[in-house]
Amino acid sequence: GGSSWVTPSLNGERPLQSEPTDRLCATAHVSSARNIPEVFPLPFVLPPLKKRRPRGKPSSALGRSTAARQPLAPGSVRLCCESAARHAVPQGITWVLVYRTDKYKRLKAEVEKQSKKLEKKKETITESAGRQQKKKIERQEEKLKNNNRDLSMVRMKSMFAIGFCFTALMGMFNSIFDGRVVAKLPFIPLSYIQGLSHRNLLGEDYTDCSFIFLYILCTMSIRQNIQKMLGLAPSRAATKQAGGFLGPPPQAGKFS
Amino acid sequence: MSGARRREEPPHAQQHALANGGGAGPRGSVWGKALRSDSAWHDKDEFLDVIYWFRQIIAVILGVIWGVVPLKGFVGIAIFCLINAGVLYLYFSSFRQIDEEEYGGTWELTKEGFMTSFALFLVVWIIFYTAIHYD
Repeated sequence: GGSSWVTPSLNGERPLQSEPTDRLCATAHVSSARNIPEVFPLPFVLPPLKKRRPRGKPSSALGRSTAARQPLAPGSVRLCCESAARHAVPQGITWVLVYRTDKYKRLKAEVEKQSKKLEKKKETITESAGRQQKKKIERQEEKLKNNNRDLSMVRMKSMFAIGFCFTALMGMFNSIFDGRVVAKLPFIPLSYIQGLSHRNLLGEDYTDCSFIFLYILCTMSIRQNIQKMLGLAPSRAATKQAGGFLGPPPQAGKFS
Repeated sequence: MSGARRREEPPHAQQHALANGGGAGPRGSVWGKALRSDSAWHDKDEFLDVIYWFRQIIAVILGVIWGVVPLKGFVGIAIFCLINAGVLYLYFSSFRQIDEEEYGGTWELTKEGFMTSFALFLVVWIIFYTAIHYD
């Protein structure tokens, strides 16, 4: 666990070690040696990041003082990789336990078929449609609602597992990355986002990024894409009809 | 004889389906359809999926370029939004010439996968910018 940010000396003496990087590396070494319980261990080991000296002038283009800059924790790529892996692994496990079962597949196919049928019917119906047609559509909506409810019950297991993993991850990342600059933002966020992007960080340099902001962005992008790639996301028709059950249905006005 | 005829039919049927850009083919045929301006989309969801994944690809490419150059500030975000929306609009209106009303209007097509692609763009941009210029 030696420092890889050693400044070589010119005259062959023992190389000097600059304090801030030494402290940074020591901190990184300590944090990796901490006995933080791995609630959801990765099936592979991420290699430690190799560090280079920072190039050029950091941040001064933004007109801010860099005198009190915090050292950058070697975490942005690692955080992103761990976030991606830890979203993929629970999704994979819930795929095995829930999504692969015949009951789930049958229910999902039924919901999608009914949603598409209902959507087509709603598109073709006119305001002067007969009472019978409206009743038929209401019956179909009721049937779809019941199927959606059954599907949600089956999905509940996977939701619990993912929620548990998410909470455990947050605790773990908090203990490793809290108060440390994980990345540099190439922009200054809006004031109401700074509370998230600069959370628990010292100094006034709002291009310093805390782990929570990057983690949320990773969650928004990676989880959705993994769900779509694995075919676990509900179809658009099903989402639209389910949204109609929570709020006013899209064509309620037509039937009033 | 009938066995031979039966054996001949599936390849013809398959070729016919592929020539028409028929529905349930492998992933390769979906992307093949996406890159041809004359193919028809029988399943709306399939076309919307293509729009979605195109957005993600554009987000990754622009995130890498913006991080390497580097392009900073809200100008970078604004240009990303313009390119993302503009390229896809040109794709579905000029190249594919589809009827937007079939898919719920231009707005529905524009917002398909936009937030996810924006989040992905930010992640890639931040990581490349940090890794190349600070790490």
